[in-house]
Amino acid sequence: MPKTGPVISEALENENDSRETSKAGYEHMGDIRKAQKELLSRRHFSVKNQIYLGNSLLFLAAMIMVIVLIINNDRVNNRLKFLEFVDDFSSEILQARRYEKNFFLYGTNLNDAIENIHLAESIFITESEQFSELLKGQRDRQKIFAKIGVYKSLLQQLYQHEQQEKKGLHTTPFAKKIGLKLRDYGKDILATSNAMINIEKKAIEKTLSHSRYIHISSFLALLAFLLINTSLLVSRIYSTLNRYATYARRIAAGDFRLIYPRRKFRDEFTDLAVAFNEMIKEIDTRENILIQTHKMKAVGTLTSGIAHELNNPLNNIMLTAHMILEDYHDLSDEERIDMLKDVAVETDRSKKIIRNLLDFARESKSTMESLDLSKLVADTLHLLENQIRFSGIGVDLQFMENFPKINGDVQKLQQVFVNLLLNAIDASTKGNKIQVIGRLGDTSESVKVSVIDHGQGIPKQIQSSIFDPFFTTKVKGQGTGLGLSVSHGIIAKHGGSIKVESEEGSGSCFTITFPIINFPGINTFTF
Amino acid sequence: MSNPLEILLLDDEAIVGKRLKPAIEKINCNVEVFQDPQLAVERINEKEFDIVVTDIYMDDMDGMQVLDIVLKKSSRTKVIMITGYAMISLARDAMEKGAFDFIAKPFKPDELRVVIAKAAKALGSSVDLNTLLKKQER
Ligand SMILES: Nc1ncnc2c1ncn2[C@@H]1O[C@H](COP(=O)(O)OP(=O)(O)OP(=O)(O)O)[C@@H](O)[C@H]1O
Ligand SMILES: [Mg+2]
Repeated sequence: MPKTGPVISEALENENDSRETSKAGYEHMGDIRKAQKELLSRRHFSVKNQIYLGNSLLFLAAMIMVIVLIINNDRVNNRLKFLEFVDDFSSEILQARRYEKNFFLYGTNLNDAIENIHLAESIFITESEQFSELLKGQRDRQKIFAKIGVYKSLLQQLYQHEQQEKKGLHTTPFAKKIGLKLRDYGKDILATSNAMINIEKKAIEKTLSHSRYIHISSFLALLAFLLINTSLLVSRIYSTLNRYATYARRIAAGDFRLIYPRRKFRDEFTDLAVAFNEMIKEIDTRENILIQTHKMKAVGTLTSGIAHELNNPLNNIMLTAHMILEDYHDLSDEERIDMLKDVAVETDRSKKIIRNLLDFARESKSTMESLDLSKLVADTLHLLENQIRFSGIGVDLQFMENFPKINGDVQKLQQVFVNLLLNAIDASTKGNKIQVIGRLGDTSESVKVSVIDHGQGIPKQIQSSIFDPFFTTKVKGQGTGLGLSVSHGIIAKHGGSIKVESEEGSGSCFTITFPIINFPGINTFTF
Repeated sequence: MSNPLEILLLDDEAIVGKRLKPAIEKINCNVEVFQDPQLAVERINEKEFDIVVTDIYMDDMDGMQVLDIVLKKSSRTKVIMITGYAMISLARDAMEKGAFDFIAKPFKPDELRVVIAKAAKALGSSVDLNTLLKKQER
């Protein structure tokens, strides 16, 4: 069972905890109802919902990414526009400065310079509002604005003088003084705008690399998200499918324990579990019918033997009764009492003979109890006494001293041994021996009982079929082919197993292994 | 009156011998009762009986073997087989092998006496059942 994340992990039946309450008993219709109710009473979280949820989250993440990218893009755009603006502005200033230089060098007029500075100012006024944030707040803007103002007023001063003195102004000391100031301010403004351009260029570069980073990281984040989402989904489906495959195998092996909830929520698989339980119930009922059918057949077989055995006490009673009638007056009291005692003893004997069979045949409520297998096998042999005697077969019973007790259903286990012994008797010929050997299993927690015959054996090619229901090699009417199939089912429900070893011509050995005290989920399986 | 018939009765049920011995003795026969087939066979080898009554079905040895032994010893001996109801087919086999008749358990003492009378007749002697029947009617 792969375990994957807390949501999906769901361990297989935890077998230990169910052992505690092994109050036993086979009729568990109530258990089925309980299991179904428990399965359905959990909160619903379907695979469908998980898919929807995963996809919605994925969509949300993608949307956030897109928004972040758009915002980033806008920012870059804004910066570019600002650059353009600063560029326009500085080129106007540059132009103004060129005219200003011409004035000082050649005494050309100042109109053009004033016009350019006006243009620069108006560009600055109209656009700077828009980029106030990029101009690092109002103060920077104000500073530049003031510098432009000073530059403009200096030009204007010059211009007024030019109007009055007409010629040669650019060589006067006054003009030179203003010229120096103008040069300083002009340089200053240009430097500021160049600095702004540099800063902006860097900022754009930074924003662009930021945007690349956002692209890559959001792509990786999406990938991770997709991976997690998919693996959660896949493992949830896979692990559950695996679990159900295990259930199916278990049921096929005859283990009819119900499926109980192991997760905190229910989903589409819960419907499957409910259907499985329903199926288990059905198979169980059918198997019970088969068990009962085969038992009646076995009872039929045993009855002929019992009937014969009954003939002996009946004959004794009949002879005695008739002799009492015949000789009543000639008999002494002692003789009469002796004869009546014989009648009493023989009726008792009859009762015991019938009781054995009736005990076996009775359809009683099955119960699990601690039982002594060696006694159970001895009782079963007693039940089969006549069959064994008729067939002239010897039976050798060897059970280890202090044979450990196991938990089981006496009637059902007796049915198993009746089946195995009848099969062994059928396979043997007169004079053969049947051995029943009880010993410890390979582990100290199990016991083994082997029924060994030295009869005809089972051909290799049919050994795999003998446990199938209705498989028989016996003539019609003689064998139903249910014996081993039913035995296998009963043993599986006891947590045990049955194996066969056989060689054609030299005999067969059926070995049953039982767990000693506990067996899995005693309270969750039904007959 | 002729010599009493010599009868050997073999059944591993003690009560059968206990009850049938007086019942058969009443019709003027000598009866030796055995429970153990082995001892019975020994006795058969010692003495020739007129009639042997044997259960077919016993633990150590079955009636068929006894039948073989008896017939080998003396072919004039009449062997009557007692069977359980499930063994009718076996009884038929016994008849084929040379048994005189068979009787199925459970039976009344009279039923056996009738068969013994038939056997006696076949042996050329006779058993008077009438006196017995009259006695019973009284
Ligand atoms: N001890 C054995 N020796 C040889 N063959 C066996 C032995 N036990 C079982 N088989 C084979 O397995 C087949 C199936 O046995 P199973 O007990 O299931 O049914 P069956 O004995 O044929 O019928 P039923 O049990 O109703 O009498 C038998 O028909 C026989 O061929
Ligand atoms: Mg069988």
